[in-house]
Amino acid sequence: MTDDALRDKNGGMAVAPSFRLQRWRVLVAVVAVALAIVIVPLFLNALWLRILISSVIFTIAATGTAVLYARLGLVSLAQVALVGVGGWVTLRMWHATGLPFEINALVGAFAAGVVGTLIGLPALRMRGLYLALITLMAAAGFQILVTGTQFPNGGTGVLGAAVNSVFMPRPFLGRSDTAMLRYVCVIAVLAYALIEANRRGHSGRAWALIRKSEACAMAAGVNVAFYKAWGFALSGFVAGLAGGLLAGTIGVLDATTFPASESVLLFALTVVGGAYNWIGQIMTGLLFRAAPAFLNDIGVDGNLAYVIFGAGLLHAIITAPNGIAGQMLDLVARWTSPSVKR
Amino acid sequence: MGAYGIFLVAGLAVGAIYALSGIGLVVLYRSTGILNLAYGALGAMGAMVAWQLEQWNYPEPAAWAAAILLATALSLAYGLLAAPLLAYREPVVKAVATLGYALIILGIANYFWVEAPRRLSLFTDQMGFSLLGLRITGTRALAFLATLAATFGIAVFLKWTRVGLLMRALADRRDLSSMLGVSVLRVETFAWLFSGILAGFSGLMFGDLVRPNPAALTFLVIPAIAAAIVGRLQSLPMTLAGGLLLGVIESMTTLIKPIAPYRTAAPFIVAALILLWLQRKRRLTFVGND
Repeated sequence: MTDDALRDKNGGMAVAPSFRLQRWRVLVAVVAVALAIVIVPLFLNALWLRILISSVIFTIAATGTAVLYARLGLVSLAQVALVGVGGWVTLRMWHATGLPFEINALVGAFAAGVVGTLIGLPALRMRGLYLALITLMAAAGFQILVTGTQFPNGGTGVLGAAVNSVFMPRPFLGRSDTAMLRYVCVIAVLAYALIEANRRGHSGRAWALIRKSEACAMAAGVNVAFYKAWGFALSGFVAGLAGGLLAGTIGVLDATTFPASESVLLFALTVVGGAYNWIGQIMTGLLFRAAPAFLNDIGVDGNLAYVIFGAGLLHAIITAPNGIAGQMLDLVARWTSPSVKR
Repeated sequence: MGAYGIFLVAGLAVGAIYALSGIGLVVLYRSTGILNLAYGALGAMGAMVAWQLEQWNYPEPAAWAAAILLATALSLAYGLLAAPLLAYREPVVKAVATLGYALIILGIANYFWVEAPRRLSLFTDQMGFSLLGLRITGTRALAFLATLAATFGIAVFLKWTRVGLLMRALADRRDLSSMLGVSVLRVETFAWLFSGILAGFSGLMFGDLVRPNPAALTFLVIPAIAAAIVGRLQSLPMTLAGGLLLGVIESMTTLIKPIAPYRTAAPFIVAALILLWLQRKRRLTFVGND
């Protein structure tokens, strides 16, 4: 059966692409990573360096939404809130202990993983629309909570919010902006590796079965509840990691960065970029942070980015379930193997 | 009464808007299976155009009419052009698609009306009356009464008219209804129409009572969904009760000092708890009905 036939049977949602490794895909990956890490940082001005850093950070967060949407068909509208959780815990840890950044960020990522699992717990019994709504409520609730508590910035007490901010220093390996961009790229590769390892292992097979039919999965002895919760934990973990990196880049965080609308937008862009392919999340990160800045650069009102995103989302959902990444790959596939009829 | 009364009245007015928006969502969801996340954006566009017309000194009825007509037209446009393309997809995919529509409308509204402090004032603000020693403005009374009237009117419509009957048929079993010759698109058009009118009206009311700001109005859809969840996305009376209750809880907690900064989270907490409560007896489903 071709990929397209599979797609149609699943109501327009693509199933996991085949597991076979295509040599050119690996090549593209290696070239992209090398470009991002070694060469690109040399050619950017200060503004664009910062924009790219935050794009890569949100790429990391998007890998979480993508894994839930593509592997389990679950819509999570609270990802940016989980980024906030990770950032909050990372800052809290640093102000309390002064430990190196990496340890704080890992603790933050674990905390976000736990919170993500808690938000996802209802998904063990609820699916589809209701789950999306629960995550939306969680995102809206987090926005209000964090506006009230603010982020720790050297104050006293558990909340640690002060009027004058103490900045958390950059991670040791990312003191300059150029170094920081390389640093977040390396973390992004690690996050991708973590997700990919899961996809290829036990969890990936369990997810594929659950996606097909929960009944079949149960009959086959898959612990459905565990593997769904595991998906949420993983998604929360990468979100928390992104939050830690965001805190590490800027040194302080502000509640206005994490409204529910951003969570919703990140999910929308995950679909637009393409959830079924790793390139898609790079697209998501770029669309989320770089596209508005780019439009500003060429003199187009940044608000029009929303119009483009909205149209892109409708287009992706109605006609192109694999998003921009899918369309790019289709193009490449057409060039490299003209015999394949699409 | 004193402070309690003031916050109760304020809460009932905001709660009425939540309820009204929730009812618009429920009416649409029941007949079409679409949870319209662009609902707030429709109202936002309407309210912003009303504000603009007011700035240009157009007569006020024109502003009212423009707000409601525009929201209705936008609602119908999606219902007739985009929604049919997704008729056979899962509910969550349909909902996500409306998110795209919301982003388009929000982007356009933000483009024309950049973030700035604004005030929308309607003639009902000047009217008002005293009840038990509290002054109640006409807008608050109107929001409350219109919500009651809309709930009642729609319930009667669903119960007693032919289109209402067909809407209920669609809500029960879409495929069977269509097989029995119900013109699905025509009935759905009515749902989009009602929902659009309600969206325009609640946008106008919210713009007056809170503030006319595209983003704030667009994300008014989140508490509206909370109200609709109280009604399980099905029941109009429960949605009404839910919306009013959420508004009152949100407003009254202003009086409890330690949690006052977090009071606007009340709708989401209540809605999340209700969702958890509703699914308490569910098991992992074998048939894919969400």
